[in-house]
Amino acid sequence: MVDGARRTTYEEFFTQAMACAAALGARGLQPGERVAIVLPNRLEAATTVYGIWLAGGVAVPLNAQARARDFAPWLRHCDARIVVHERAHRDIEDAMGDFEGTTQSLPLDDNTGYVEASFATGDGSDGDSLAMLLYTSGTTGAPKGVMLSHANLLANAEAVIDYLQLTAGDSVLDVLPFYYAYGASVLHTHLLSGGRIVLAPSLAFPHLVAQALQAESITGFCGVPSTYSLLLEHVQLSGQVAPSLRYLTQAGGAMPGKLVRRLRDALPHARLFLMYGQTEATSRLTYLPPEHVDERAGSVGRALRDVEIRICRDDGSWASPGETGEVCARGPNVMLGYWNNPEATAAVLREGWLHTGDLGHLDAEGYLHLDGRRSDMIKTGAHRVNPADVEEAISELPWVIEAAVVGIDDDVLGQVIKAFVVVAEEQPRGADRIRAHCRARLAPYKVPKQVEFIGALPRTASGKVRRVQLTEAEIS
Amino acid sequence: MDQRHQIKTFVLQNFLFSEDHGALGDADSLIRGGVIDSTGIHELILFLEESFAIRVAPEEMTPANFDSIQAVDDFVARKRTG
Repeated sequence: MVDGARRTTYEEFFTQAMACAAALGARGLQPGERVAIVLPNRLEAATTVYGIWLAGGVAVPLNAQARARDFAPWLRHCDARIVVHERAHRDIEDAMGDFEGTTQSLPLDDNTGYVEASFATGDGSDGDSLAMLLYTSGTTGAPKGVMLSHANLLANAEAVIDYLQLTAGDSVLDVLPFYYAYGASVLHTHLLSGGRIVLAPSLAFPHLVAQALQAESITGFCGVPSTYSLLLEHVQLSGQVAPSLRYLTQAGGAMPGKLVRRLRDALPHARLFLMYGQTEATSRLTYLPPEHVDERAGSVGRALRDVEIRICRDDGSWASPGETGEVCARGPNVMLGYWNNPEATAAVLREGWLHTGDLGHLDAEGYLHLDGRRSDMIKTGAHRVNPADVEEAISELPWVIEAAVVGIDDDVLGQVIKAFVVVAEEQPRGADRIRAHCRARLAPYKVPKQVEFIGALPRTASGKVRRVQLTEAEIS
Repeated sequence: MDQRHQIKTFVLQNFLFSEDHGALGDADSLIRGGVIDSTGIHELILFLEESFAIRVAPEEMTPANFDSIQAVDDFVARKRTG
């Protein structure tokens, strides 16, 4: 693994994971207990996951950009025994103030790993035991922590390795955070195949990302649509820039056909895999083989190995080819359920099938086409935002009566956040004050890019806010 | 208004939506701190190019030049004198 100037062999990686396990053991971690990880992409964001597993614990990677108000409910919900974080991370330290005595801290310094120590590993966890919790829903309402077993992670990794044909000769340049399912999948697939993972510079510096493609002889690159859009916008991507590039993957929302064409024109020697999945399925459900991208334009491909995809009608029966309904999936990568949330689990796991909340149809050859999403979740860049989290923050302002937050289409980020706000009386610099309030309380990517004041929110007869109407008003 | 003050005011108003200069230290990391993201940096560059009559080449977009108010200020000063 390559993290800036730090280069780690598999042996050193394992030594670091053992040292992490020893540090966790010294803090009294018992098998099955949860360890939260609050780290940006750095070497320890990977070694810590494996250290937790060696110690028999459950890894809970949390969004490192989140704020104290997010961390506290997550830590409480998963009952974290230990939190691994960067020293002087103000938000996690603030959040941990509430847990004094019950949750311990394991702070790490910049560019420094664990102090080497040996650790006696136990018998190992059985495959069906819980390996990881990934929180997906934001913090408003009951948190949804996706429970993934070791078997889930292994099934997903093996299926992805199979279609990407990953080998020990591969080097991936990773821009995706490991606390998201897609980034975690990149990490585990490349470790399992014995390849190399190079942590990318920030996408704020696309030129440096492009340089790394060349300097590190990168063979693979994985992104969401906005990753590719940003790179194409600011860098002259070509075979010269990335001579060793063998494959590209894309997930995290539909990539517009125009962007697919631009990317393939810029890097014709790299095979582009368009993919679809969900955290609840350990990341991956379908992929479109590169050779079918033209003839199957608009499709996200077929189910991966050992996974079945079906479309469910509103009445619960299975839909025919061509008929739109809810995308459902079954397979060894489907989660165990949501941690301590049986209602949410029962709502999506029914008779062995995962109900994804996405709308789609299968064509006659079994290729999946997505037709929209049932939930209001906003996808901006690589992030998913629950509108309720933002609405709640805005509503804390005493002069705000109510707010509704929607995703507006954006060429680069896919969607950007727009807030429609009803106020008691007009405020000077009201939009800025709302954004400043959100900036102080929410992760940066949750701050609305646009704020519009309106007289009243459109509502359905039953009183629910009609977000669709707000989005449509924006388009027209 | 001096150059550093101007740059900091822009960052505060456009990324932190604040006029409180105490909200951001001159040496604070703009990227790691999440103040400026991958789209925000291009807004900042546009502002620098228009305000200080400089051109920022892609290869000059590095953390050394852009990761703090101080770094941006030093970079702009070098560009203006160079």
